This record gives sequence, structure tokens and C-alpha cells, in this order.
Amino acid sequence: MNYKTKTIKEGVKLHLINTNKFKTNLMGVFITIPIQKDTVTLNTTIPAVLKRGTNNLKTQEEIAKKLEEMYGAVLDCGIEKSGDNQIIKFYIEALNNKFIPKNSNKNVNQETIDLLLDVIFNPLNEDGKFKKEYVDAEKKNIKLLINSKIDNKDAYAYNRCVEEMYKNKPYGLYKYGYVEDLDNINEKNLYEFYLKLIDTAKIDIIISGDLDENEIIKNVLQNKNIEKLNDRNNTNIINNEETEIKEHIEKIKTVSETMDITQGKLVIGLDIDYNKPNSRFAMCLYNVILGESATSKLFQNVREKASLAYTARSNYVRQKNNIYIRCGIEIKNYDAALKIIKEQLEDMKKGIFSEEDLKNAKKYMVSGLESVQEEQDSEITYYIGQELSGKLINFEEYIENINKVTKEDIKQIAENIKINTIYFLTNE
Amino acid sequence: MQIIKNENVKEELYLEKLENGLNIMIIPKKGIKKKYVMFATNYGSVDNKFIIPGEDKVTEVPDGIAHYLEHKLFEQPNGTNSLDTLTALGVNANAYTTTNYTTFLFESTDNFYPALTELMDYVQHPYFTDENVEKEKGIIGQEIQMYDDYPEWVVYMNAIKNMYEKNPVNIDIAGTIESIAKIDKEVLYKCYNTFYNPSNMAMCFVGDFNPEDLIIEIKQRLVEKTKQGEIKRITEQEKDEIVKKKTEVAMEVSMPIFVIGIKDKVESKDIVKKHVAIEILLNMLIGKSSELYKELYDSELLIAEPYTEYEFTKTYAHIAITGQSKNPDKVFEKIMNKIEKIKQNGIDLEQFNRVKNMLYGSYIKEFNSVSDIARMFITDYFKDINSFDYIKEYETITPEYTFKILQEVFDYKKAVISVVKGKNE
Repeated sequence: MNYKTKTIKEGVKLHLINTNKFKTNLMGVFITIPIQKDTVTLNTTIPAVLKRGTNNLKTQEEIAKKLEEMYGAVLDCGIEKSGDNQIIKFYIEALNNKFIPKNSNKNVNQETIDLLLDVIFNPLNEDGKFKKEYVDAEKKNIKLLINSKIDNKDAYAYNRCVEEMYKNKPYGLYKYGYVEDLDNINEKNLYEFYLKLIDTAKIDIIISGDLDENEIIKNVLQNKNIEKLNDRNNTNIINNEETEIKEHIEKIKTVSETMDITQGKLVIGLDIDYNKPNSRFAMCLYNVILGESATSKLFQNVREKASLAYTARSNYVRQKNNIYIRCGIEIKNYDAALKIIKEQLEDMKKGIFSEEDLKNAKKYMVSGLESVQEEQDSEITYYIGQELSGKLINFEEYIENINKVTKEDIKQIAENIKINTIYFLTNE
Repeated sequence: MQIIKNENVKEELYLEKLENGLNIMIIPKKGIKKKYVMFATNYGSVDNKFIIPGEDKVTEVPDGIAHYLEHKLFEQPNGTNSLDTLTALGVNANAYTTTNYTTFLFESTDNFYPALTELMDYVQHPYFTDENVEKEKGIIGQEIQMYDDYPEWVVYMNAIKNMYEKNPVNIDIAGTIESIAKIDKEVLYKCYNTFYNPSNMAMCFVGDFNPEDLIIEIKQRLVEKTKQGEIKRITEQEKDEIVKKKTEVAMEVSMPIFVIGIKDKVESKDIVKKHVAIEILLNMLIGKSSELYKELYDSELLIAEPYTEYEFTKTYAHIAITGQSKNPDKVFEKIMNKIEKIKQNGIDLEQFNRVKNMLYGSYIKEFNSVSDIARMFITDYFKDINSFDYIKEYETITPEYTFKILQEVFDYKKAVISVVKGKNE
């Protein structure tokens, strides 16, 4: 197998993907902690401040110049919500040494590792504080980022549905946090928070590319920033994929909200009240048949047959046992669309789908999994997902499990699916 | 078959032009599981006025028809839809329409040849009925409305309309609810027969292929059609001047977004070299390491570097700078002032070389994914460009040439701005 891991410190793991399919090396660092109301905004502020400067490269222009000299390396960071955890992620992508022009003597492979670790673990600080100017500026930017959630209506409607379904629960938190928390953040308490984060959070470093494994392991282990990390508790993340119990719901929650828009956005949140080991494979396939592919029930019936929508699809959230149905529809067609969608859910329960549909869904999943190995970022995301779920299922095992699912398995899932919330973004 | 090699990126392009005029490009990727194919025609949203080969009168068709045709080609006489058939084969199929071409594609890890059979069958066999043409109006109508709610699309189209008076790049690719209402099966067939002739089409394949064998497979799936004469596309002469300096509209956005456009003349020679020079200039002007970006970031006028691009086909060319700012007018002014300053002070050599290195890397990176490679070769092909040329020109580009382009292209008189601001501002 081309995938290996090595524990660097307790709770800090190095993952290596050896592949010669790409011109680049891609390195990611993932810092994972449970998502909580009182730290969600602090976590969002961290990468924004870190990317401003290190003790070696003190400004973002210096970092940008360094990246340009490395033949256009790209450094990126972001925030993700994964189940009840929040992930702070950092990426750097750079040409593999094999594609650096012959007349250059740069060792970009090494520089890539050193630069990303410098940005994350050696931020510019003075007297136990971040630079005030950077923190103040980034707080303003995060305020804009949080407020920009209305810009993409489709994503907004989706986030609002999740928020309504998980009111006052960790998963209902907005991944970028809340504007009102920003007032309490300053260069001192943020730096203190950062130090604690780096000392306690689960950290995964993952590198993909055409690489000499021993050399990479040596480069990472001997990096000064890595040497100074301490052991930490490896179980400091939440994984309730197979343990969470769905609350019984008396009545479907219906929420509608108004904005000045042309097209209505309908989002329906479904609970899957079924928790068995490995049931995720049948759930995946249920979702593909219901709404993920172009042959799915939603696409066929809402879009192709009834011409009610351009987009009609569903996505499965494994970590929380939910499926979300999402459609962009003409506002006056709300009732008609809802009726057709409910019929599709009923049909799934009655097992009104063919062996052919199941076979196609399996092919869809398998080809998706095979494609993952041909995209450097998708492959990294796959392995990080496996890491956070607590057990490694490699691609072969995953495909095998998918192929084992029967029509009866899917029917059983369907019987345990209930609508939790119907959210509609409308203009009237 | 012609073989073109590029040593920098370590890839090869196999080129073959068939007797019927179809152009085939193959980029073999050894050991890659994914295969990607595009079947494309040099026919896009701007082609709404033309002379059919063999006729002498001008045919004018409703806006949005190339895109409509793209949707309808999936329909089969037996009532099936080729998108479903391809999905059932486990391949990921799609299609899209741009201003100057339409392409049908799929990506597969298995069942490549059965899927190729289906792709080549449905693209070569149109089946339009009054009923199936009518049905699509609802779906495309929803697609048009969806775009109406995308501030990024609205701000972009307004910038285009500020630059172009006559070139049909100024109409939405999908047309309007009114224009598509006029579409019927007769006009669809007319456009199909004109533009879906092999001599107007190209295919691009990226994946683990043996090119000779692949050509044989393609030939077996081709429908016999005679090579047709030239399609005369009627493009009205577009003036050099812009139409309007500024457009501003209000939508539901949290912060204003803007597109700054600089209209350029269409060039027929040295276009790749010019393109590279413009990319270098745009990065020197407002890229992440530029002085101006630092100034605008520190003064809170920008929170991320704007996205810059030189967009061109055979009928139009312009620069587009897209970004978000609480004060787009100020950003516009600062960019224009900076251009003048560089014109006065000349090009900074250290920065020039650094940016050039960066572009080299970004060009090589395009070859990471089979889909990016195919899209790049098809897009460039319809501009008479071989994508490898970028790397060749990159090596020849000088600060002197780049400075000359700066003076010719970056002209305040040709610059426009389009803004979408929030409802409450």
C-alpha cells in the first residue's frame, strides 16, 4: 500500500501517501478539537493570524514572495466542521523537485515542509502575545467572513437548516463562529489559547507526492518546530457516528425565511435513526439512489419529469447520520416539489427501486472512490476522514463493503428515516 | 499522427486530423486509472448570426440556443436520456456551453469504451420533438433564475455589458426566459446541422491510452458525414471604446463585489506571448506579494487578493479583475494609479523574475488532473492555440516586451467597473 503512518508524538501523527501521479507535492496539517460555543470563534481566528507572519518571515508579503520563489507554491488555510469536531486545516502545494527547471538548484520538497511548519508552529509573537495589528485586522476580516454567509443562498439555506435541526447543540454551531465573540478576543488571550491548542489538540500531518519516504520522515522529525511538540491525549476528539441516538420527534419542524431572491431554496433535513457498525455503506447507497446521482429519484422526478428545478439533490453526512435534500425551485412550486419529494421517500421505504438502481449506485460509489485516488486533495481528505472516524478502511475494503450491500439493507435504512426539518428560503 | 513532446512538463500530445475534418488530441497518461474525454464543437452563445454553408442568406437564431441544444442532445428516440445511460455505466458525464464552444464529456475509471459508444452516439444523433423541446423550458428557466441570484454572475455580466456594445458576449449564455420561449425543434435542427459537422468539431482524450488503438476505436464510432464548407459567422464590428464606465446594482450581499474590466483589441498573432505578459503584469500589479495589495489589505480595502484573468476568443479580448471590497471605486482608482506609476517607473526586474517563476509553477500544475488537461487543450484549440505553447513562450518573454504590452493594453480609457452592493448600503 502506498499509505503509511508514523506517530511522532502521542496525539501527533505523520501520514505519507507515496504517489507518482502528480506534478506536485501536497502537504496538509489538520488540528482537530471538539466544536464548542466558547471556542468556535477563537479557532477561526487562529489560522487567519498565523498566515500573517512567522518569526522568520514576519509579514504576509514576505511569505508571498517566498512562495513565488518556490515556483508558485500555494499556501492555504481554512476551517471545517466534521461531526462534533472543528478542524483547523493548513495546506501547501508546490511543484515536486522533479519539475523544477534544471537551471535551478532549489530543494522545494524540503522548503515546502519547513515553510508550512514554520507558519503553524512558529508564529510571530512578542512578550507572550501575537502582534496586535495582525489580530485587530483579522478580527475585522472574520467579522466580514461570518457576515458573508448570506452571499451564497444555497449554502446559507443549508446552514440554516442544520442550525434549526441542532439548536443549542455543538453540531448546530456555525463553523466560522459568531461576531459577538470577536469583541473579547485580543492579542494576549488569543496567543494563550493558541499555545494551549497546539499543546493539547490532535494533530495530523499528511504529505502526498512522489517522495523518498525516509527522507521525508527525517525532514519532519528533525524539524525544530516538531521537536518541541509535547505528547497529548489522543482521544481528545468526538466520534459518535455509531453511538448517537436520535431524539424522537413529535412533529416535523417547518421554518421559512425571507430574502430578496428570485429562486426559492428548499432544504429538508432527514434523521437516520439506525446505528449499526458498517451501516454507513448502505446509507451511502440509499443517498445515491435518492438524490446524489443523475439517475437518482430526486433528479429524475423533481427535475426531469416535473421540470420543477434545475438542481435537486441530496447529501449524506456520515458523522451525524443525516441526509439533506436540497432543491432550487420556483417559489410558487413549493407544495408541488414537497409532495414529489415526500413520495420519493415513501417509495424508498416501500423498496420501489430496482436491483438495477442498486447496481448503478454501487458503480457510482466505486468509480467515485477510484477517482479519489487520482486527486491529491481528495485522497488526503479521505485518509483524514478515516483517521477521525477512528479506524482505517482502505479503498479496497471500502469498495468490498459497498458491493456487499443488499436491497434489503437499504430498505431497512429507509424505514428508519424521518424528516426532521423543512427549511424554505423564499421571497414572500 | 503528429507527436508533440514537452520536456518541462514531461507529457506528449498526439494529434490527428481525420478526413472528415474532425480534429483529435490525445494526451496519454501512463498508470492513471481515470480516463477523460471531451467531444466539442466550435459553437457557443455568441454564434447567433451566421450563413449556413451552401446558402447565401443570413440566419439569425434566438439567444441561448447553443446552450439549449446542449441540454437537448441527451434525449434519445427510445425515451431514454443519455446522461442516465452514462451514469448507469458508472461514468461521470456532463456537458457545458461557453461563449465560443459546447462540449460533452465524461470521466471514467471503468467501462470507457461502452461509454464512448454512448457519448459519440448521442452527440451525433439528435432527437428533438415538440414535446421534449417544450419540457426543457422549465428546467432552463430555473437555471436562468438560479444565475439571477448569483451576485458573482450579475457583477460579471454587467462588466461585460459595460465593455461590449455589439459582440454577443454581452448576452447570457443561457439566454433569457423570453428568448428561449422562441426556440422550437426546427431551429434546433438547423443549428445542429450547421455546427455539429465533424469539420467544426474536436475531441480530446486524456488517460492511459495507446493513441493508435484509440484512433481506430473512434473511427468505428463515427457517423459518416461529408465535410462541409466554412460557416460564415457574422460578428458585427465592435468599437474599440467602452460602452459605459460604471454599473452599480444592489443585491443580497454582505460586502460589495466588483469586476474591473479592461477592453482589449483582438489579436491574431503572438497571442500566447501576449497572454503570458498580461498574466505577469496582473500579478505584479495586484498579486499577493505586490505593494499595492499590501497597501489595500492594510487599509482594509481588500481582504483577499483579487482574481485576475485575461479572457479572449477570436472575437473579443479583455482583462477581468474580480474582488470584494467595502469601497470598490477606491480600489479601481488605486489600481489605475498604480498602472500609471509602473508605466513611469518601468518594470522591477526582481519582481518580474519572481512572478515569472510563479507562473511557471502554476502552468505545470495544470497537468495534475486529466480533466484540467482536457479542458485546457479544448479551450485553447478553439483559439488556434496548442497549450504547450505557453511553456515555450514563457521562456522567451522579456521585461521589455512585457512593458510594451503594459503600455498598449492597460489603458484607463478602456477600463470599466461593475459593482454589486448590499441592499442596505
